[in-house]
Amino acid sequence: MSTALTDIGLMEGVTEAMNGAAVERVSLGEPEWLRERRIHAWDVYERTPMPSTKLEEWRYTDLKKKLDLDSLRLPETEAAPDDPAAWPARLRATMEEDHEASGHIVLVDGHVVHADLIPELAEKGVILTSLHQAADEHAELVREHLATEAVPAEEGKFAALNAALWTDGIFLHVPKGVKLDLPVRVTRSYTESGAAYFSRVLIVAEANSQVSYVDEVISDDFDEQTFASTAVEVIALDDSQVQYVALQRLGRRGFYQSVQRTLARRNSRLDTLNVAMGGSVTRVDLSARLLGPGASSDMLGLYFGDEDQHFDFNTSQDHEVPNTASDLLYKGALDGKSRAVFRGIIRVHAGAQQTDAYQTNRNILLSHGARADSLPNLEIEADDVKCSHGATVGQLDEEAKFYLMSRGLEEVQAERLVVTGFLGEVLAKLPLGGVVEKVNRVIEQKLSQHS
Amino acid sequence: MPQNETIQDLNLDEYKYDFVTKSEPKFRAEKGLSEDVVRQISQHKDEPQWMLDFRLKALEVYESKPMPKWGGDLDGLEGVLDEIYFYVRPQDQMERSWDDVPDEIKDTFEKLGIPEAERKILAGVGAQYESEMVYHSLRKEWEDAGVIFDSIEDGLKNHPELFREYFGTVIPTGDNKFSAMNSAVWSGGSFVYIPKDVSLDTPLQAYFRVNQERMGQFERTLIIVDEGAQAHYIEGCTAPVYSTESFHSGVIEIIVKKNARFRYTTIQNWSNNMYNLVTQRAIVEEGGHMEWLDGNLGSKLTMKYPSCYLMGPHAHGEILSIAYSGDGQHQDTGGKVIHAAPYTTSSIVSKSISKGHGRSTYRGLCKVYEGAHHSRSNVECDALLIDETSRTDTYPYIEIEEDDASIGHEASVSKIGEEQLFYLMSRGISEVEAMAMIVRGFIEPIAKELPLEYAVELNRLIELEMEGSVG
Amino acid sequence: MSDAPILRIQGLEVQVAEEDLPILKGVDLEINSGEIHAIMGPNGSGKSTLAKALAGHPGYEVTSGSVEFRGEDLLELETDERSLAGVFLAFQYPVEIPGVSIANFLRTAVQAHLPEGEELDIFDYSDQLIERMTMLDMDVAFAERHVNDGFSGGEKKRNEILQMAMLRPKLALMDETDSGLDIDALKIVAEGVNKLKAEDPEMSVLLITHYQRLLDYIKPDHVHVMVDGRIVQSGGPEVALELEADGYKVFEDAAAETARA
Repeated sequence: MSTALTDIGLMEGVTEAMNGAAVERVSLGEPEWLRERRIHAWDVYERTPMPSTKLEEWRYTDLKKKLDLDSLRLPETEAAPDDPAAWPARLRATMEEDHEASGHIVLVDGHVVHADLIPELAEKGVILTSLHQAADEHAELVREHLATEAVPAEEGKFAALNAALWTDGIFLHVPKGVKLDLPVRVTRSYTESGAAYFSRVLIVAEANSQVSYVDEVISDDFDEQTFASTAVEVIALDDSQVQYVALQRLGRRGFYQSVQRTLARRNSRLDTLNVAMGGSVTRVDLSARLLGPGASSDMLGLYFGDEDQHFDFNTSQDHEVPNTASDLLYKGALDGKSRAVFRGIIRVHAGAQQTDAYQTNRNILLSHGARADSLPNLEIEADDVKCSHGATVGQLDEEAKFYLMSRGLEEVQAERLVVTGFLGEVLAKLPLGGVVEKVNRVIEQKLSQHS
Repeated sequence: MPQNETIQDLNLDEYKYDFVTKSEPKFRAEKGLSEDVVRQISQHKDEPQWMLDFRLKALEVYESKPMPKWGGDLDGLEGVLDEIYFYVRPQDQMERSWDDVPDEIKDTFEKLGIPEAERKILAGVGAQYESEMVYHSLRKEWEDAGVIFDSIEDGLKNHPELFREYFGTVIPTGDNKFSAMNSAVWSGGSFVYIPKDVSLDTPLQAYFRVNQERMGQFERTLIIVDEGAQAHYIEGCTAPVYSTESFHSGVIEIIVKKNARFRYTTIQNWSNNMYNLVTQRAIVEEGGHMEWLDGNLGSKLTMKYPSCYLMGPHAHGEILSIAYSGDGQHQDTGGKVIHAAPYTTSSIVSKSISKGHGRSTYRGLCKVYEGAHHSRSNVECDALLIDETSRTDTYPYIEIEEDDASIGHEASVSKIGEEQLFYLMSRGISEVEAMAMIVRGFIEPIAKELPLEYAVELNRLIELEMEGSVG
Repeated sequence: MSDAPILRIQGLEVQVAEEDLPILKGVDLEINSGEIHAIMGPNGSGKSTLAKALAGHPGYEVTSGSVEFRGEDLLELETDERSLAGVFLAFQYPVEIPGVSIANFLRTAVQAHLPEGEELDIFDYSDQLIERMTMLDMDVAFAERHVNDGFSGGEKKRNEILQMAMLRPKLALMDETDSGLDIDALKIVAEGVNKLKAEDPEMSVLLITHYQRLLDYIKPDHVHVMVDGRIVQSGGPEVALELEADGYKVFEDAAAETARA
């Protein structure tokens, strides 16, 4: 019976660990509306076929080969204590490197174990808390935005799976007119090999507010495939400014899957940066919707692959009203047998005049086995627009390398410098304290293994 | 106003090829596609058994493949295919003297200006009417040099070995649903062989005319350009405007051998009720040079991506394309370049103009296989939008497996600039002419490569269309 | 020189179209046939706006006032009709038209200027083009280049003068023709204008410039100072020399004073 159902795309991905009973378990003790939302999401999940390479969006990432859902377990670990001494060493080290912040959230194995916020911000009404807790304490806000307009279950197979099974996440709400000078820093650590983790981020920036949010995902190498799924919803209301940064530094055999959706209302500025360094497989679905006149989004991405790492970025820039702007720049270096896929689309909807939309993907291949696929797409249904895109795949800039060597640098040094410069362009556009240094260090480390 | 005079002088309707010739076909197969139809075609052509087998096999492949879900809207196509005639035989034999072509068919081509062009500038001319080539001729000096320029049927009859060696090797039957269909029902098209080191200094030209309503045309062309040879082949396509939809699906296979150079120019000006789904592919061997010049002006929907498979070192492929989409038209065009050998280079330049509710899509692939080191490819797509209801899409696929390669793709979308219009008008040039001038300037890099009569034709079309767009 | 003004501007007020941003706030100016006028003024005073408004730029909207050109209401005419009537604007920033050769562009423009029904003789036209290019010290190959596409600043300005030489206007509006030119290029451009003026003494010229420099090479009969959308002083060539010595500050302060009052 079940074979027949999966043949027609039903019940695919329903496993011993991930099934209706698991959804019931995770919703124990939750408000009824949330339980219903999870059950609805699970229903969508069961009805949605597993993405195959026949779908344009999954053309170059074959889940049949890359993901073994059946082997994954839901994590057994209970929440760790709010005590840095009990946290994994890598988590402690990572947090020590962090600069000042408006507040912190720490998740260990999918559960928030620590949250802090500068008291004066709390007084101004800023909320930074565990999403699970917020579903109780700020039910109205969470209920309005969680998996509704930004990343609903209908968004896709993984959006549905996440909406059904998320264990915890981050809720950040910035009230009208409140501006956070320092970023909010989130660190997540995963420890259980072979587990499937589901967490969510919900950020709501009210009118005229301002906030930067940095989310770092870390782990040691895993023995077995480990799945880290995140659904990110960022809502920037009129005249607000939001920066969202995701920094992925999972260990090997980590599968990082992230569905991100940003909604930019009138005159808001909503910028994102995705840095992917770790993991064995990275799949990011980022969709920026520009919904109010004057809204703009810069979308930045950076990746450095080595060994057999596989990165797949699927982005969209939707200009739905007149007078909006978006500018995407994704750059990557690929070493070893690594592979990167970039598929981006700019959609200028009918009537969305005075759109400025740009999209650039640049790759350098550092080794013979590396591979890059780039599909920068445009769909333009308005005439008074400025749109362009570009994609390049090439080698290291030999001229630049030669120039540096003529000044006395060794070949390896020169190569490192050129690669750092190539990738540095992205970081220079969103120079958040701490992020640049961290990323540069990882790049250095990867380059030191390049021969 | 001088501009208006120009337009009146042209004395054109919207589409000047909209005339029907009254002619009785010698034979017409039943409507729709079936094994019977395929057998009848083969029988009328008196084909060897292997070709009939080839056709029947292709029919099976066609039936097993689903309709493509990408590209243009093909939802209405199956209904159209049930209603059209896949084979219409206008006369029993192909003529080699223009005087022998039946008057009514001759009239048609004379209206299209063909014999005149032949006298002036061409090395050879072919003309296809409905399903068959009705006329083929080649200048004697080229015939003496060993050039073959014939109908595809005569190619099969008179040069069976050469034919069989290459036929279906560049585009296998199962390449796509429509190449399979063509393989089952092909009829008409050219067979061309340019011997070693022979350089044709003037083009070979083929004209394709669909006259009858509910007609499907399935020409098949096979061109072999031997080592060191050079040639240029031009095809032009027209049809009358009927209220029902028609269908054209050609398969063009080209082999460019070592150090040979070949250019294939298409000016497609089908009527706006034509589905035009064409597969064109060239295999380019070492040091060879292939250019596709592709102009898509007519049809309801065109899906066509000329491709170059660069199989030998230093092979070069080039695709230049212009698409024009007016109301009710969708040009889904582009190109493919496959780098399968080192030191190969390619370039794609695509310019599209969308007007009214027209839609132009660029769809392209640039693939570099591992081992194709020192490959270079550059793709440039520019789209011009005339009206706020016009649409353009760009879907490039870039797949790179070789680190020692350099690949670039750039695309831009623009409208006619207000400052440009003001500048030209401040010199006394009317708005219509100024717009036409800017559009002509936009496509100039490609238009200048066109044979003169087609360039003139294109300019006239632009002028007419701009006339309609100034309120 | 005749006494009847070829151009009469009265109370001209102009704003940026679709924005409530007035730039010209009541300009009065008369130019007689054959006269050379210069309008000088600081950046943002509105002098270029005046030139564009006279040529009918769609980005500017005339909200009040009148412009009579040779007895006709200039404001009623479309941009191309103004050109046919004899107004020529040499652009401060000539626009690039890729793919369109100068020869082809000018042929279309010259044809448009012929009386209705008259066909341009292509041989006459090319003789004339070569003659004019030679006069302006231009290489004939230049005519095959695309209009302003990839031109240097000097080439663009020279191309403007070539067009002027081919179209033979009654009134030439020269919008900051000197900007971005080195001294040699400036001399060539000024010489060209002077030659055209010598050929047709009836041609009137309105020079718009920030600096005195150009006026060393093209001698104006009248000089006007424009500040904040109005002409605040008019006189002979000496006005320009005073400005060179004292700058615009006196006028700007006075205008600010008026604005406060």
